[in-house]
Amino acid sequence: MLWRQFAMEWRLYARDRVAMFWTMAFPVLLLLGFGTIFRNESGPRLSVVRVQAQASSPKDVALDQALTDLHLKVQSLSKAEAEARWSKGETAAQLEPDGDGYRLRLNSYLMAQAGATAGLVNQAWLMAQARLSGAPEPQRIPVQVESPGHKRSTNYASFLLPGLLGLNLVSMGLFSVGMVNVSYREKGKFRRLAVTPLPKWVFLLGQVLHRLTVTVAQAVILLLVGFLAFGIQNQGSFLDLLLIMTLGTGCFMAFGFALSGFAETSEGYAAISNLVFFPLMMLSGVYFTLDAAPVWLQHAVAVMPLAPFLRALRAVFNDGGSLAGHGLGLTIVAAWGLAAFLLAVKRFRWA
Amino acid sequence: MLTPALRIRGLRKTFPKVLAVAGVDLEVARGEVFGLLGPNGAGKTTTLEIIEGLTTADSGEIEILGLTWAKQGQEIRSRIGVQLQSTSLFNKITPREALDLYGSYYPKRRSTAELLDLVQLQEKADSYHITLSGGQQQRLALALALVNDPELVFLDEPTTGLDPQARRSLWDVVRRMKGEGRTIVLTTHYMDEAEALCDRLAIMDHGKVIATGTPASLIADLAIPSVVELTFDGAAPDPAAFAAALGQAVERRTDLWEIPTPDPKALLPRLLESAEAAAVPFQQVHIRRATLEDVFLHRTGRSLRE
Repeated sequence: MLWRQFAMEWRLYARDRVAMFWTMAFPVLLLLGFGTIFRNESGPRLSVVRVQAQASSPKDVALDQALTDLHLKVQSLSKAEAEARWSKGETAAQLEPDGDGYRLRLNSYLMAQAGATAGLVNQAWLMAQARLSGAPEPQRIPVQVESPGHKRSTNYASFLLPGLLGLNLVSMGLFSVGMVNVSYREKGKFRRLAVTPLPKWVFLLGQVLHRLTVTVAQAVILLLVGFLAFGIQNQGSFLDLLLIMTLGTGCFMAFGFALSGFAETSEGYAAISNLVFFPLMMLSGVYFTLDAAPVWLQHAVAVMPLAPFLRALRAVFNDGGSLAGHGLGLTIVAAWGLAAFLLAVKRFRWA
Repeated sequence: MLTPALRIRGLRKTFPKVLAVAGVDLEVARGEVFGLLGPNGAGKTTTLEIIEGLTTADSGEIEILGLTWAKQGQEIRSRIGVQLQSTSLFNKITPREALDLYGSYYPKRRSTAELLDLVQLQEKADSYHITLSGGQQQRLALALALVNDPELVFLDEPTTGLDPQARRSLWDVVRRMKGEGRTIVLTTHYMDEAEALCDRLAIMDHGKVIATGTPASLIADLAIPSVVELTFDGAAPDPAAFAAALGQAVERRTDLWEIPTPDPKALLPRLLESAEAAAVPFQQVHIRRATLEDVFLHRTGRSLRE
């Protein structure tokens, strides 16, 4: 009976080709898109616009050489061209002659790039001065790029991939489970089932098993594309990965069931779920970290379920770590899942 | 002796601010087609949903095929068939799949082919639900109510929203169901449907049963077997003066007069004479048999369609 319910869920799901395609393709497209944009392993190359002086002095030549030595991309433009580019907002940092020396203008909208560029430009200037005066060049501290788990080969795509796996779970729980349940209740599909002797748990379990297998299929496709396109490999054990994914799926599906108890209509549910979805996505480190956020917000985020889930997932997937150090984080996820489950049981209605 | 198909005593249900069912008693015999007739909001659907186990009553007793919800819920579910007011299925399920799926929920079931045949959906058996017409969807809903070969079938407004032809074809299915020996309880706000299909009726208004009986006996109890209708071009004039002259009650509807009478033959010459004398600008005179509509009107002072 359960098998039949499960098989029918899959059969009907497979008929909705558009929905199925996008469920499977959207995370893949995100991975391919962002992964390609930020393909360069050392991050995007920094560039500076150099406003040409009337006549190049030896100082200018030495500075240009030093900038190139530091791997900065230098674009030499006339004053008019440089000003035009600056007005369009495309320039992050612009180096221009100022009396005897130089001045560096930084774009206040692009401070992440501009700040890093400013450091390099100043370093280049020190190098150029030393070279001109024949003094020994200032020494540089060697730099080493590596992930939190001491792997060197991780790029942005492999940071992104576990985030996308997490995103899949959350959207599966909130939208495919929660939304679908509200619409079933609204349209009376549950009522029609309620007058049959089918045990309700069979229907719900069939649904849950279907979503679970969809999630697995999504994950497999994403991992495969990650491997083929970017050579990303799971660095940890697949068993740990499965364990974390199962815990996460359970937690976020319970979220969906719980939230569906609070909305009368699909429209109402859309509002409620976005209220949960966006803070969860924005604040939980799927796309960026929260180092610059106020401390209270960082604490708040740490006890939300997605952040510890992703940290554990990345530790295993990217760094080949074990789950041992993530007991607290996984307990937080499990606690949220349990709380959501209890709330779901309390609030769930068939009609 | 067999217990009645359905026995209800003192059923009450209050929703926040609305008294939906205000003490309903009903008894339906086996093999009967029983109708709950009443305007929208009379409490028919709530009554039916309480019987079907979808809503719990505040008080009252219900016995279904001699069983009670408290003790034998699963057995009741497997022996009754239900068509809800609107049956929502997946857009892309076919009638054949839906019948197979719902059939799999029951210990005893009828074959899908037989059901498709009964509701004449063989040609649409493999089309997606969303592509079926309203009448075809309703017929599928009827077939779904029969998948478990139920002894007792509940149909909630089975023909609402259907065109006349689709209604007739649905009536045929209901008659075939009765021919198979099933007990059928249906709600409707169409008096012609109640007259055409039901062996017995309960007329409901404001959460109460205001009359019970066969359609014929309900009409006969009115003691006005006929109604003479005068139709006008546009709105009907005020009949007060004319009624006085005629010496007979004349009721005004929006575009016609109605004159209930036990003896239309005797009334007609007098009526035409008076109309001539008073220069009443009527267009047609029409004599009709009294209907359930008149019964409802007589008991509540309101029309069913209002």
